[in-house]
Amino acid sequence: MEQINSNGICEELLFSRFFKANIKSLRNYLYFKFGNEEKANDITQDSFIKLWENCKNVPLEKAKSFLYTIANNASLNEIAHQKVVLKYAQNNAGNDRTNINPEFLVEEEEFKQKLEKAIGKLTESQRTAYLLNRIEGKKYHEIAIMLGISVKAVEKRIHGALVSLRIEIEQFR
Amino acid sequence: MSATEENYELAKWLAGEMTEKELISFQKKPEYATYSKIAAYSSQLETADFDADAIYRNTIKSSKSKAKVIPFYYSKWIKIAAVIVIFSSLAFLYKTTVTSTEVAEKGKKTNFSLPDNSQIVLNSGSEINYKKWKWENNRKLNLDGEAYFKVAHGKKFEVETKLGTVTVLGTQFNVKARKDRFEVTCYQGKVSIQHKTQEVIITKGMSVTFENDFFDKQDINVAKPEWTNNEIAFQKVNIHTVVDELERQYDIEIILNGKENTQLFSGILPSNNLKAALDIIISIFHLKISKFDSDKIILVDF
Repeated sequence: MEQINSNGICEELLFSRFFKANIKSLRNYLYFKFGNEEKANDITQDSFIKLWENCKNVPLEKAKSFLYTIANNASLNEIAHQKVVLKYAQNNAGNDRTNINPEFLVEEEEFKQKLEKAIGKLTESQRTAYLLNRIEGKKYHEIAIMLGISVKAVEKRIHGALVSLRIEIEQFR
Repeated sequence: MSATEENYELAKWLAGEMTEKELISFQKKPEYATYSKIAAYSSQLETADFDADAIYRNTIKSSKSKAKVIPFYYSKWIKIAAVIVIFSSLAFLYKTTVTSTEVAEKGKKTNFSLPDNSQIVLNSGSEINYKKWKWENNRKLNLDGEAYFKVAHGKKFEVETKLGTVTVLGTQFNVKARKDRFEVTCYQGKVSIQHKTQEVIITKGMSVTFENDFFDKQDINVAKPEWTNNEIAFQKVNIHTVVDELERQYDIEIILNGKENTQLFSGILPSNNLKAALDIIISIFHLKISKFDSDKIILVDF
């Protein structure tokens, strides 16, 4: 049980642990949102700076909510919806070796390309929720805190994303 | 299958939250294969790397230097205070260095008091300059023309003129500095006069005159200068000095067209009756009035 720190999250060890636990998710969330690495990095840094500056007033249990609120506010002024460029993991160890035949590989490749294009066509709200779940592995209740919405709203976006992706991909059949 | 079901079944499926029954039912659908692939391949996507350490360093570093300081100059109150300070400083500076000026125009006289209650009467066409700031410690003024002083007791009181300086402690005296004529009369107390290299001390009832190389000392028996009573007194003066004074007192131009006259005059002229004054002049100096306008008089030899 964390000792109740009357100093908020000001103790540097505490802060650095929090930082390490949340930096990637925040930064990638912002990347999913803007499709721009520099912007994502900048807003991430600004948000952590604000958290650090206000550390006295923010207890650990409120820190994540605070962090994402700041980030979302900072994002309001930014032009969103640039093309999000993702790449597939190079690691192929998980693939079923018995299925490696050229035709299969080509099909797989085609599908992946269609998927990427389709993801690029998602709305910003669908895209961020969906990728936070798929790439960052975040549960719906976590995503709800990050985006400042209800779990139901997260479900709606995820559902909507999947439908859009299927329709988009099937169009190319 | 409707895509707008409020239970958002695809989201439930993705999260593994479907019941067994629901799952079996879903897996039988044709679109299931596509959804499966979508979900699987999406998970294989990656984002580019980024420098988290740099971000951490910048976070800790930047806030530490800022600390929890409200920048001094941003505070609205500091700005207001600064304006007040600057304004007061300027006002103070102004007050301490600025000079007060009293003037008596031609045809007029001016009465005024100094900060220590010393009284001054300025004769026509005269000007006094002095600093009000800390007057009691620095009772020094500059006179151009003529003034009658009733000096309150206190520290040294100085009257500077172009022709010399008069120093008193507490007295009543008259100083006249016109052109080259420096005349000081003491009605009360003691007065020290400095003219060029000469220094003279006079007391009540005495008057001295310096005019170039001319020096004269007189006894007088009036309590204060005649000019304060609308009379102009002259002691051994030439026609030009008389005419100059009449011009100032009456604010009028008087032109002398005649032979050069070195005759000296001692006497009293009225300063509130021009005709009478002129009558006296022309009779003493053998002149006559050739022109008499409201702003110009011409006197010629008789």
